[in-house]
Order: sequence, then structure tokens, then C-alpha cells
Amino acid sequence: MQEQLQNIISQAKTAVDSVTDLVALDEIRVQYLGKKGELTSMMKMLGKLSKEERPKAGQIINEAKQMVQGILNAKKRELDDAKLAKQLAEERIDITLPGRQVDLGSLHPVTRTLNRIETLFSKAGFDVETGPEIEDDWHNFEALNIPETHPARAMHDTFYINENTVLRTHTSGVQIRTMEAKNPPLRVIAPGRVYRCDSDQTHTPMFHQVEGLIVEKNASFAQLRTLLIEFLRQFFEDENLKTRFRPSYFPFTEPSAEVDIATDLFGDGRWIEVLGCGMVHPDVLKNVGIDPEEYTGLAFGLGVERLAMLRYNVKDLRQFFENDLRFLQQFK
Amino acid sequence: MKVSENWLREWVNPNWDTHTLTEALSLAGLEVDGVEAVAGQFTHVVVGHVLSVEKHPDADKLNITQVDVGETEPVQIVCGAKNVVVGMKACCAKVGAVLPSDFKIKKAKLRGVPSHGMLCGATEIGLLDDGVDGLYVLPEDAPVGMDVREYLDLNDRTIDVDLTPNRADCLSVEGLARDLHAISGAPFKVPFTLETIATSGVCSQGVQVKEPAACPKYLGCVVTEFNQKAKTPLWMVQKLQRSGLRTIDLVVDITNYVLLELGQPMHAFDLDTLQGDIQVRMAQAGESFTSLDNKVLTLNEESLVIADDSGVIALAGIMGGLPTSVTDKTSKLFFECAHFAPLAITGKARQYGLHTDSSHRFERGVDPMLPERALNRALQLFTEIAGGVVSEVQAVISKSNLPQPAVIELRRKSIMSRLGVEIEDSKIVQIFESLGFDISTTEDGWKMTAPSYRFDMAIEMDLIEEVGRIFGYNNLPETPVLAPMTLNELPESEQSLLALKTALVQRGYNEVITYSFVEEAKQKLLEPELPYVLLQNPISDDMKAMRTSLFSGLLQSVAYNQNRQQSRVRLFESGLVFYKNDSDPTGATQIPMFGGVIVGNVSASGWDEEERLVDFFDLKGDVETLIRMSHQLANIRFEPCEHPSLHPGQSAAIVKDGKEVGMMGQLHPSLVKPMGVSGKVYLFQIRQDALMTMQVPVAQAVSKFPEVQRDLAFVVDESIAVQALIDSIVAVKSDILNAVELFDIYRGQGVENTQKSIALTLKIQHQDRTLQDEEVDALISEVLASAKQAVNAELR
Repeated sequence: MQEQLQNIISQAKTAVDSVTDLVALDEIRVQYLGKKGELTSMMKMLGKLSKEERPKAGQIINEAKQMVQGILNAKKRELDDAKLAKQLAEERIDITLPGRQVDLGSLHPVTRTLNRIETLFSKAGFDVETGPEIEDDWHNFEALNIPETHPARAMHDTFYINENTVLRTHTSGVQIRTMEAKNPPLRVIAPGRVYRCDSDQTHTPMFHQVEGLIVEKNASFAQLRTLLIEFLRQFFEDENLKTRFRPSYFPFTEPSAEVDIATDLFGDGRWIEVLGCGMVHPDVLKNVGIDPEEYTGLAFGLGVERLAMLRYNVKDLRQFFENDLRFLQQFK
Repeated sequence: MKVSENWLREWVNPNWDTHTLTEALSLAGLEVDGVEAVAGQFTHVVVGHVLSVEKHPDADKLNITQVDVGETEPVQIVCGAKNVVVGMKACCAKVGAVLPSDFKIKKAKLRGVPSHGMLCGATEIGLLDDGVDGLYVLPEDAPVGMDVREYLDLNDRTIDVDLTPNRADCLSVEGLARDLHAISGAPFKVPFTLETIATSGVCSQGVQVKEPAACPKYLGCVVTEFNQKAKTPLWMVQKLQRSGLRTIDLVVDITNYVLLELGQPMHAFDLDTLQGDIQVRMAQAGESFTSLDNKVLTLNEESLVIADDSGVIALAGIMGGLPTSVTDKTSKLFFECAHFAPLAITGKARQYGLHTDSSHRFERGVDPMLPERALNRALQLFTEIAGGVVSEVQAVISKSNLPQPAVIELRRKSIMSRLGVEIEDSKIVQIFESLGFDISTTEDGWKMTAPSYRFDMAIEMDLIEEVGRIFGYNNLPETPVLAPMTLNELPESEQSLLALKTALVQRGYNEVITYSFVEEAKQKLLEPELPYVLLQNPISDDMKAMRTSLFSGLLQSVAYNQNRQQSRVRLFESGLVFYKNDSDPTGATQIPMFGGVIVGNVSASGWDEEERLVDFFDLKGDVETLIRMSHQLANIRFEPCEHPSLHPGQSAAIVKDGKEVGMMGQLHPSLVKPMGVSGKVYLFQIRQDALMTMQVPVAQAVSKFPEVQRDLAFVVDESIAVQALIDSIVAVKSDILNAVELFDIYRGQGVENTQKSIALTLKIQHQDRTLQDEEVDALISEVLASAKQAVNAELR
């Protein structure tokens, strides 16, 4: 019997060895271990043996069954592995091919700069205000202490619609509109397009400013200076940025200053003018019904394109308005 | 204003180099725009005396000269200049000299003749081009052998100061010197002594001032019997040139010199050409005037003029006239030195297309106390140089119209509260003393009387600015703004523009910023109906009309990029459009818009995707995204519309609550060429306010009960819009009908060719229980009836 079993096992082994697919393997399983399989039949014959022989015979048939089952299992694993390996090999891709995507557009560098400015100031509690771009004489000039006869009018290169309306030459008119509409204390910035009748390599007839205004009791020029220095350092992310405040003149502020910066980041350490600022002129406060003895105003005006050019290494102002995709796409 | 550094240092000479000096001026508000050396760098150039000139034997254009350079022997120099003559004084570069651009002068032979140096023209030693083709001619009395740098005072620089309009008091050497004194503390000294001029007899020229408010002070004086051949001295020519003025003749040079030195504009007339009294009056409308530069102007009634019996002879404070101007034949002079009120002059020069050194000053203001001194200075200079007999000064002065010095209170506490710095009293007093103020102390601070030249002083803040300026803005302490900590509003119902922009960026759009003014003709093509606003003074004709739509700018940007090999273009812009509206105070309704354009392939770089050109529904999907972001999709409808700029079969009005808030569609094929674009271009624009209101979400419980889906295919006439069919179904207003979704449109076999089949999925669900078949069937019957009634839809 032992011998018979050994034969069956070696036959099974030979059969399994030559199998190459799972279907054939299963046929072998049926042939040996199925209901009518060879080993199953031998088990059925146990009844014919004597009581004493039975356990021993049962044991060795069982061992033979396990042996065959082991051979089958090992082959199955082998075939499964091969199948998976084949699938994996077939599914191999070139992962260096570009991903399928909705391509990314870009925000205009001016918008990007405006966002940066707005974010910095709104975190400090400034509200964002806007105003009309076709502006009346009062808001663009008169209320800002620039009467008809003022020499500063000639400096503005104003686009006229008619005698009384212009394209705003600065965002400062929003100061007036805000102070007319709201009571102090105020902290606002007013970003937007402004227009000057001037066009050459360093001037475009339209550009952007951000106006800033604080109206508080006892706000001082020293505080304005501190705020702007902090702004410039944060904007350019340069703690060592050098600044200097030069006395200047705007009809609607007094004292007035222009601010220069110098940094190792750009401009070879030269002084570069970046903004104008000052304390709101008492007459301007009076024009909007605010008592200049009770409140003081701090105001500043940022040239957005100038800041954008410095921040993003843009050399030609006119590029901002050509809208060349090859330029815009650099601001993804 | 340009000024010679050496001239300025004659008045105030701080122990500073040029760089420190100009930085100090800038930091005191007198911004230095540039500094330029008056001559190039050179050495060993001396005054040479040309002793002899002989023709070079072997060269037509060369001469052999013997030049005395103050050494024992004259030197021989071969010279090619045309204007070399015996006896002249010229700049001579000796052997060993180094001229600008490191040009070294060595012993040389020119066509065989030894030459030991070089005679120089103006530009060869880096002087301003004097227009002479040849040598720079030195005055006859130039001392032979003297270093030319020293003789011509060439170690000097022209400083260009860009003065703000309020600082007209600094439009002179004296004015700058006063401020430099205050800034540096170096002593201020007037470099000349003003002496009383001996006069003989009254002024023969009568003067009548008809407009004393405009001309509160008019001084005049006659000078006769002077040397008509007298020339402007070299030192004066140099100072004028270094301040940017040309030398013209002695009389004009002297008035210009006084203008630069003291800031007082003056004018001189040829007395013999004057007829009757000088009258200072307003022009009569239509009166004509021939200006010095020979332009004939027709004047208006608002112009202040100087006239005589013959008519207008000068535009007051702006420019003299040609017929009465001084010439080389003039033997009698009438000097005018007046004070004109700024308001009488402002804007007038510009009206006539003029801008002069005189109008520049009078518009901004001139010291009203200056005319007496300035006239005296001019007469002193003139008589020193040309002699002459001077009449008494004829003075017409209206005291009541002369500006009075401002007396202003300065409170100690204001300095702290406005500037934010504590400054000692003694420092305050020192600052105002150095600025020429009269100071008296009061209980709270001081009473300051401004000098007559500081006509910009009017209020306390003016004084505080002066304190800050001289103290130094950069010396103010770092002080953060102190204010109560409050939280800003954060309205969730407001959509942010940035979020909308970002959504489009993520869908491949690039943001553009285009000019708000566009070409009128193109605007008319795109928006023939809308009235628009025109600029009076556009930069150019194609930037004349304020845009009524974002389309023109977007299309121009498309054209720009298509012309640069970019076939796939996706752009958007946000900004105002302007509708002419006379009832608005600004004459226009100004509406924030959001718009975009697409053309070219759907995707950028599909290595395994099929290429497809964009169509209406690509754009519509993007527009719907924007609307969906504001949770407004239910309130917004797309309705077929016709607009001149869009394809009539592929355009939609975007309607919110019954109002049109935008439009979208394909650019009208007939506009493709005129707009300079190519391909099928799809555009949209929508009012920002329609996108800006968001609904704050109110969450609904999610039903636990199964959803029933029913697919229905309807056959309708081809002309029926899908939206109309959906509307008819939604009109049933059932609580259990949650959604109606389109999943197919079919035309072809089984459907008549004037019809189409629209397949919809109805999603039906009850919030609280499982639906019974009967309920669903009842709903479907209602839906079918409604669709049948509204659009004659039949179930397929």
C-alpha cells in the first residue's frame, strides 16, 4: 500500500510539474483528490481493512493526500504569481509622460501685487474701498486742495471728459468719498486704475495705485513712517530693507514725503522711489466735515506697477498692458 | 532748476563734498535730480597765446603755430582748426596732458612737422558745445600760462534741483542758499554789497497801473548813455550757462542773472520804441500781441498785459514783445521790475502755449519785497559793466494789495501730537531762526512771523512741516499706530473677486489688464447702440472712447497673441465699463464687469487626447462655474438673444431675476476680420454684482429613504429649447421631485426630422418615507401633462 501511495504521489508530482495553467492544475486535483479521485478511492477502501490495520492505513493515506495537496498548492501559488507578474509586466507604463491636466492659467502680476498689498493691510484692520474712474472735479482736485489755478494741476497730465469730469489722476479721490460717507476712526485702502495723459517707455496712460488712509485721534507722522517701513519690509520680505523719507509736496497732505528704498535684492543698493505719503491736510479734513483739531489723517499712495516691477524683476513697464501670454504665463 | 555748485557755495559753503551736499538738499525736500560736472576730467591744459600761424608745407588743412604757454620758450603746435589766428588766446594742452576719455597728449610729428601739444575746442575738454567749429576762444585778457581749470572755474558742477510747487522761494541761488544754511548750519553771506545807485533826474517813462490787485508793485527806471558795445563778462556767461541759460546780450543776460541769483523776473524795453505811458491793464478781447519769439497771439480779456499807446507790449509776468525788445541798436533802456499776484498769472502762459522762467516763478509766487533789491542789483551790475546814466526809480505800489507776512501760532503740544516726537524748545527756536522767521514766545508755544519770501506759510501745519523737514523725517522715532483691537467684518454672503479669478485661472484662463479707452470705430462695431463717453485729449485716436464692453480689449489681446503664434488663447479681465449717462454726476454709469474669451483647442497639450476646438458649451461651462460658485445657478437663466457683436444662433443673454446681467456667445463671424482675430472666438461678460452675492448654505437633512430615478425621452419640435421642456417639468412643483437632469439628445431614425428627442432623468425621493409606486406614477402623469401642454412634448 505504501508503495502504491508513493507511486500516486510521484505520478501526481510529474503531472503537476508539466502543468502550465490553472485549469489543467484543477483537473489534476480532481484526478487525485476529487470525489472519485485516486486517493479518495483509496480512503473508501479503508473499510475493507481490519480494525487493527485501519488507523495506520488511514494515517498514511491522509499523509499522501496532504502531500499531493501541498504539491498542488505550491503549483497554484507558482501559477498565480506568474499570472500576476505577467499582468504587472503588461501594465507597465512610462511614468515620465506628462500628466493629463486642465492647464493652469495665471493671475496678472498687477493683481498679484494688489493682493499682496491688500492682504498685508487688511490683516492690520484696513477695509478695502473703491471709487469711480470717471471722477468729478471736486473729488479728484478741489476737495484735495487742488483748485483750478494750482500749478499741481499742470503736473497731473489729466485726461478730460469735459470741464467738470476727468479720468481720475490718482486714487486719492476715494479718500474724499470715504470720509464723506463714513465717520472716523477710519482705516481704509483703495486700490484701482488711474490715468495720466502720458505715454513713453516709463509711462503708460493707465496704471494702478493703492491709496491708504487712517483717520484717528492723535495719529502722528512718526506712526505713518513706522507703518510704511513695516509695510515695505513685509512686502519685499527683506528685514534689512533701507528706507528714507524725503520731504515732498502734495497739495492734500502736510507734511508730505516721498519714500525711497534701497536693498541688496535689486537695484544695486541705489535709492529707488516707491511711494508718496503724508498727513491729510487740515483743509481737506474740513472739506469733508472732519475737525482737524480732533482728528488727524495719515495717507499714502503706492504705485502698484513700480512695486510689481521691483518684486518680479519686470524691466519694461509697458509689458503689463501688452498682455503677451508668454509674459503672463510666467505668473502662474 | 539748475544751479552752479560753486555759485551756491559763494553764499553758503558747508564743509561737505558734493555728494553730501546734494543728499542733504534732497532730504530737506529740495530733490536733487542730477549732478553734472561742467567740464570733463583733464589736466595740464593752460591759457595759450598764439604768437604765429604758418601754413603746413605738406598739408592744406594744417597750420604750424608757435604758442606762448607762459614758459621760457614758446611751443610749436600743429593745428587743424579753422579759426586759429595770430594773437588769439586758446586752451592749450601741453605734452603730458590727459584729456577726457583718457586721451594722452605726447610729442608727435604731423606730416613730418614736430608738434608739442594740442590747441583744444570746447568739446575736446568736455565743455558744453559752444557751437564753434574749431578752438574754444578765451577772452583777450586771459592770463597766459594759467591752468584753464582754474581760469574757467571748471571744478564746478551743475546741480539740477527738482523743486515742488510750494517751494518757489528756492527758485534762485539765494533761495537755495537760505535753505542750505538752515539745513547745514553753515553761515549765510550775501556775496556782494548792494550800493545805492547814483541817479540823475526823474524817470521819464510814465507808468499807470490799472489793476493794482494783479500788480501791486511796479518799479521802472530809465538808463541812458551806456556803452552799447559792452559784452557780458565771462564769469556771468559761465554762471548762466551752468544754470542752463544761453547768453544773449548784456541786457537780457543781466535780467536773467538777477532772475537766477535772487529769483526776481525782470524785463527791459527799448525806451525809444515806447509810445506814451506804460499801462498795466487787462487785455481787450481779440487784442493781438507779437511775442519775443515772434509768435502772434490773440489775447482774451483775462490776460494781464503791459501796454503802451500802441497796444500790448508784454504779457505781464510771462514774456515781452518783439517790437519793443532791446536790440544792438538800443541806446535807451526802460527796466521793469514788478510783483504780479500768482492768481493773475496762473494758467495764462499755458493758455497761449508758453512757459517761461518768468511765468514759472510768478505762477508759484515771488517775494513781494524783492523788486526793490532786484532792480538795484540789476542796475548795479549793468552800470559796472556798461556804465550809463540812471534815472530815479518810478514806483507804483498798492500797499493794501501786497501780501502781508503770515503770523502763525505754533503750539508746543502740536509738534508732539502731529510729528510724534518731543523736540526741545531751544531746537525749535533755532530751526525757525535759521529759516528767517521772527519769533515771539506765547503761553503754549510761539508766534512765528514768516519772512516775505515764505509765502507758502499760512497755517500751523506749515510750521510743523518745517520742523519735521529740518529735524529730519528719518530721525523720527519708530512708533506703531495705536488703536483699539477690533475684528473686521467678514460677510460670508459676499463673493470675493479673487475667488472668481482663481476659478478661471484653474480652468486655464490668463488674466489681462487692458486700457479702459478703446478705438471708437471698433467699439461702434461691437456696441453700435450704447452711447459712450469720449476723451477730450486722448493719447491717440485709437484710445479715445471709454469702453462700454470688455470685449474690445479682450479681442485686441487675442489678436496680439494670435499674431505671435499663440493659437490657443484663454483670457479674462475684470474692470469698469462706462455707459454715457447725463443724469449721473460723473456723466457716466460705471459698472464693474467680469469677462472672458476663449479660442483654439480645448486642451493645451494632449499627447493622447483628441484635439478639439472650443465651442459655446466649453465657455458656458466656465460661466456656469462662476455662477455656481456664488450658488446663484438657480436664479440665473441663459436666454437666446441677438446682439450685434455675437453670432445670432450662438448667443445668450445671462438673465438674473428677470434682468439681463451679461451675455455670452460666439463672436459674430462678420466681426472676426475687423477685430483682427481668427478662428471661432467665444466671449462672455457678466456684471460683477450678479456674481458677488453668495447664499450662505442652509443644510437640509439627507433623506434616508431610497431615491427613485425615472428616465423619460420626450419628442419635441426642433425649435423647442431644452430649457423650456425642463421648465415645464419643474413647473409641476412637486415636493418629491428633487432634480431633472438632461442625459441625451437624439435626432435621427425613429424621430421625425423636424423633431428631436430629449432624454431626461427625474430624481424622485421623499424626505420621510419610502415612496409608493402610485405616488411616482402620479407625478410622472403630471409631468407628462405639463410637458405636453407647455411645449407639446410627447413621450417617445
